[in-house]
Amino acid sequence: MKSIFLVAIREYRQIASTRGFWVMLLILPLVIAATQVAGRFIRPQLNSAYVLVDATGEYADSIHHRIELNRQRFELGDLSAYAQRWGAGSAKPDAVWAKGDRWFSEQQVEQFIAEGGAPAALELIKPKLPKDAPVYELEPPPVVLADVPAGVPVDQGPDALAAGLAPYLQDVIDTPLGERPLGLAVYIPADVGPTSPIRMWTNGAPNASLIDAMRSEVLRIQRARALVAGGVAPELAAQLVDTSLPLEVSAPPQGEGRELVAIRSVLPLALSYLLMVTVMVTGSMMLQSVIEERSNKLLESVLACIRPSDLMYGKLLGLGAIGVTIIAVWVGAAVFAAFSVQGMVADIVKPSLAAFNEPWMIIAMAFYFFAGYLIISMLYLAIGALSNSLQDAQSYLMPVIFLITLPVVFMMVQVVQTPNGTLPVVMSWIPLYTPFAMLARMTAGVSMMEVLATGAMLAVFVVVEMYLLGRVFQASLLRTGQPPKLGGFIAMMFGKQTQ
Amino acid sequence: MAILTLDHVVKRFGDFTAVDDLSFSVPEGGIFGFLGGNGAGKTTSLRMALDILRPTSGKIEILGRSPGRENASEIGFLPEERGLYRRMKVLETIVYFGELKGMDAAKATAEGKRLIERFGLGEWTKATVDKLSKGMQQKVQVAAAMVNSPKLLILDEPFSGLDPVNQQVLEDLVMEMARKGTTVVFSTHVMQHAERMTSRLLLLSRGKKVFEGTQEEARARLPGRLTITSQADPSSLPGVVAAQRIGGSESWSDWDIEMKVGSDLGALLQQCTTNGFALRRFESHRPSLHDVFIRLVGSAQEIAQ
Repeated sequence: MKSIFLVAIREYRQIASTRGFWVMLLILPLVIAATQVAGRFIRPQLNSAYVLVDATGEYADSIHHRIELNRQRFELGDLSAYAQRWGAGSAKPDAVWAKGDRWFSEQQVEQFIAEGGAPAALELIKPKLPKDAPVYELEPPPVVLADVPAGVPVDQGPDALAAGLAPYLQDVIDTPLGERPLGLAVYIPADVGPTSPIRMWTNGAPNASLIDAMRSEVLRIQRARALVAGGVAPELAAQLVDTSLPLEVSAPPQGEGRELVAIRSVLPLALSYLLMVTVMVTGSMMLQSVIEERSNKLLESVLACIRPSDLMYGKLLGLGAIGVTIIAVWVGAAVFAAFSVQGMVADIVKPSLAAFNEPWMIIAMAFYFFAGYLIISMLYLAIGALSNSLQDAQSYLMPVIFLITLPVVFMMVQVVQTPNGTLPVVMSWIPLYTPFAMLARMTAGVSMMEVLATGAMLAVFVVVEMYLLGRVFQASLLRTGQPPKLGGFIAMMFGKQTQ
Repeated sequence: MAILTLDHVVKRFGDFTAVDDLSFSVPEGGIFGFLGGNGAGKTTSLRMALDILRPTSGKIEILGRSPGRENASEIGFLPEERGLYRRMKVLETIVYFGELKGMDAAKATAEGKRLIERFGLGEWTKATVDKLSKGMQQKVQVAAAMVNSPKLLILDEPFSGLDPVNQQVLEDLVMEMARKGTTVVFSTHVMQHAERMTSRLLLLSRGKKVFEGTQEEARARLPGRLTITSQADPSSLPGVVAAQRIGGSESWSDWDIEMKVGSDLGALLQQCTTNGFALRRFESHRPSLHDVFIRLVGSAQEIAQ
């Protein structure tokens, strides 16, 4: 046992002394930190301003109102989800934001605005919020109307207006909310029509929904006018163009339905993915370690002191500890990030953890993780022992990597959609994939019987694999010459010495 | 008492027999030479003694026990093919092997430092192995083999790859360990080292034992050779197998004589004197171990391989 620990400690120290290990260890925390910093300091500038010159004097008010309605619709949607998520709907049950809807009619949005909009709703909601609820932040409007700057001619036609606004379209413009990039300038001529179109100038990155709102509003007004000109009474014309589909969409509350399935899959899928990444990383380290020992011809000195099996177990233990270190740092970084991002713990981590509602699930997941590590690591160890160089190893390794990763990636994609679909279930019964598939499906209603049966199958497979590949490892350590072909490989598994 | 015994040991790899019915024993103390050409079975025999390989049949006893890692604490082993962990430091390497052999870290460290100084590597103690020259790396490996002050030191081709100066350093160290009571078994196909160092020899050829015994006993296996200067033809003298005239004057001739195996040259000289066989020169040639090896192993070509 002491020999195993000595080998394990040496392996751990050797890997931990390399730059590559530290780069890999820190890459995730650094990426997370960089994302946070970038999120705070390099937040993309989405807000912009627009200028509207309406020579008819008939469109401007409607367009501004349409833009405001659209903004309030998004605000209402976000507020409704927030109120439902934190159980604050009881603050005013008859309010539009209290019903958990995600689709809102014009009338509902109008009602929301009439009741004071988001600020008034938040005042009502605040006393009902639990302590861990994140603060709902009111964002400024994404687009805001700016006055035409002094000196820019508004009554000399579109070309003069364009020339006057050109410097502002390349820079910023003053608005009631401060300086903003001028994203869009619009000129509606007095005789707007097919021969005299509405003109728009953008800075190259206009707000698409803003343009869409303008188009639809102008079109609506023009349709109404056309109907009136065709003899339809103005009231009826207005009703016709304002007609909307009577539609009520029911969706499960946020955090439930498919969303809940997806959220609950987050942790199991993350574990499955972590297993894959960790075993691939530590496996390749193991491979390099064995090839180094073989190519440096130092194995004979080691084998004079300890059994080949002790060397094998020592490597598995030492590199397993490296894997645990990587997992600990990565998970630590992820947890830190989760707590530092408002609402993530409550929205994703807690519901995902809540899915582990049985203690045996934790034990089962630890078992699958451990078994998965052993299965893949033994493959890498055997390949390392068979190979004289990294080039040799590549020829064995590529098919093995494809054989493992491709089906697992396909399976993970399907688990998000249907955790108990054919592919994940079938893969749960193929020992090479059992750990990945069962980890990914663990919170999707897997029965204890299935866990016990696949666990027993997996345990037998691990023992047999370790026995057979352990023989290959031991028989290959002092082998010289070309790597064996399939026949030689099988002979090694069954204890027939070929050299 | 024998410290290593092989009794009718056979080792086969598939259809190839690497060691064929090999029996010998290494007495405790002294230096035992394990001689043979390439492919003679030296390394395979040593690996079996160390339990790195298991014999197909036969029995091996080492330090009075069966081969196994439990003997590692009393054995030092320097394999023919040598290497070290390139990113480990010099002292760490020696201590690691000491600990693998059951030493505690403190003792391994103290002994490791002593050996490092002895090999002149003091300033490299904390350097990683990949910073050392090949010769220095070999010294580190020798130190790793010796760190546990073994009862039995097994060296497989220990001088290969070392320059003459370092060969001498290693030779002195091995001789010193032998003087202090360590039994040394070393394999080589360089006869000069064996001739200088070994007290007993084992000669192997194609997995079979050709000879086991002292250097003198080995030499006695070869026919004696003489150069004499005489007036008469020595062909009829007792024990002479062949005599060839190689020079001289009209009255005195120089002869190269091959004697029967086991002939007593002293007795021949006495007989010449007693019987009035006139001699001006009587010069016996002691066969070198190289000659013995060529003769017994049978083929100089095997060495050349």
